[in-house]
Amino acid sequence: MIKKTLLILLPIFLFGQSNFFGYYEGEFDQLKFANQTYNYGYNKLRLDFEAHPDDVVTIGANINIQKYFDNTMWNLLDFLPTDIWQPIFQPEDFPEEMWITEFPIALSDTLFLDNVYLKAGFKHFDLTVGKQQISLGTGYAWNPTDIFNTKQLLDPTYEQTGVNAIRAEIPLKGRTNLDVILSPGKDWKESVKMLQLKTGLGRFDMQGTIGQYTWQRTQFNPTTFSIDEQNNLRTLYGGSIVGELAGAGLWIEGAFNKMENIADFSEIIFGTDYTFKNGLYIIMEYLRNENGVSSKENLDINNYLRYFMGETHSLMQDYLFGFLSYPLNDFIQFGLLGFRNLNDNSAALNPQISWNLFQDVDLTMVYSHFIGDDNTEFGVQDWGWRIRLRGYF
Amino acid sequence: MKKILAIILSIATVIIAQQAIPTGIELVEKMSELMTQENSTAIMTQTITTSSGKQRTFEFEMFTANEGEKTLMRYLKPSAARGQAFLMLNNADDIWTYFPRTKRVRKLSSSSKNQKVQGSDFSFEDMGSGDSWKTEYNSTNLGSEKYNGTDCWKLESIGIPDENPSYPKMEVYMRKVDFYPIKIDYFDENDFVEKTMLMSDIQEVEEVPTAMQMTMKNHLEGTETTMQTISITYSWEPPENFFTERELKK
Repeated sequence: MIKKTLLILLPIFLFGQSNFFGYYEGEFDQLKFANQTYNYGYNKLRLDFEAHPDDVVTIGANINIQKYFDNTMWNLLDFLPTDIWQPIFQPEDFPEEMWITEFPIALSDTLFLDNVYLKAGFKHFDLTVGKQQISLGTGYAWNPTDIFNTKQLLDPTYEQTGVNAIRAEIPLKGRTNLDVILSPGKDWKESVKMLQLKTGLGRFDMQGTIGQYTWQRTQFNPTTFSIDEQNNLRTLYGGSIVGELAGAGLWIEGAFNKMENIADFSEIIFGTDYTFKNGLYIIMEYLRNENGVSSKENLDINNYLRYFMGETHSLMQDYLFGFLSYPLNDFIQFGLLGFRNLNDNSAALNPQISWNLFQDVDLTMVYSHFIGDDNTEFGVQDWGWRIRLRGYF
Repeated sequence: MKKILAIILSIATVIIAQQAIPTGIELVEKMSELMTQENSTAIMTQTITTSSGKQRTFEFEMFTANEGEKTLMRYLKPSAARGQAFLMLNNADDIWTYFPRTKRVRKLSSSSKNQKVQGSDFSFEDMGSGDSWKTEYNSTNLGSEKYNGTDCWKLESIGIPDENPSYPKMEVYMRKVDFYPIKIDYFDENDFVEKTMLMSDIQEVEEVPTAMQMTMKNHLEGTETTMQTISITYSWEPPENFFTERELKK
């Protein structure tokens, strides 16, 4: 598939005005949980192509090659509280020989075409066709209006995977824009249809979103020990407002989700940020997600699976996220990132150093300290640290 | 009779002399006329030098309109910053930034106005403040002074607290010959010179004196940033709806 695509794109890259860029990223992690320490990591090469066969036409593509090392086989059950998985995998009325102790998940090396698209600028609108990154919403850690992506709390600004879509961005008047997105599925009902109207009023930016698609929800089958999918027609009515008060940035982003077969739910975030004159930057966000579970007693394996599969923005309902950064000098930045599950009172504190070693080389070091009981979302882990080296070209 | 003539003559001399000394407002007007052309587009490099002598060089394109009230800047180099862009409207009161890696646009709060752009010694307000000099400061001509052998007017601009100026005080040395500023001192709350901007290699570009090199020295941190103009034109006409999110994301 990649070979074929490259063969088609080759003449454009050869004869059009084209650029090649990207980065190498190496990461090493160590994580302690369930009384064991695990080492893991990866080497990644992202290779971007961009060609301009015409002034108003851009053809873009990127290939991601990622090779994992050290611990590449994980046991999902290690990440779940015992009282969640034990009744299913080791029921008391079963003989011990029949108990299941592992639910393996492998980190496989990947080589894939993450994005490949054509963007054409017409007089009254821009049209992008193909596999493209679509990032919606104004929130930093969570985006209730973004049905395409789920962010990692430890790294909310990491790039997202491409989505097959046709997107028309239509500027209307002044700061008003209409965004039309169609991401084709097996049929019209399964396809994502989305309209987003953005406008600005004084110091405020506003956005209204309406979208509909068939949401495939993961459902664990305890009889066959397999993962099934449940189809639910989801209609999203969302919006956001970004503004400021006394120099502090303020934003709200929310969505009401009308569901066909399951209970409707709402999701909302409130955020604020401020930059002090000495360069200290602080950002905070609160998430309320009715699609999550209100107390840890009500959690089941499906809630975990849906969260791990990126189908929901959070495992439980109420979260707080905070990040502060302070420049130690022109090239070294100290950061402290924290998040807390307000329902089970578990939390994670992640002090970090970002160091611009050379012109195009960044080194990031993060230590994670997890707080909470063993049967809580973050407390199930003890500690971890990460070193990431990224070199752009 | 001679005495009367002498008095009249000296009064006239004083009046003529007074008329020849421009007021602070006049100096700001003349400086703004030169510095904030209706529209412009330029490609520039930005070299940051730290106190330890390490350097980072960026290259960006910059578009301004409406006498600097609207600014769009987009980084071309190095690879790590490539495609990152800033849109500044209303003299940098409203700032949006675009991150090409995540394809996201974020609105920055006004508290970030005086923060460093890409770690340089230039703040967002330094880059996109347009005519804030006229609206946010009261200016006085402190008289003649020589700077580096050049006859200059020395202008003092005191920030109007209600207008939320970026600096409490600025002092400008501008050439008498054409009112072009060649040195600007930026003061902090303790009346200490926080930063100094030096304009050099001043060339006529489309009949407009233009500093091809601007160096901002940060006295508090011991760093400096030099902006070198590679190309510039004032005859650029912005297409309709150029200073919008659509262009920011290109």
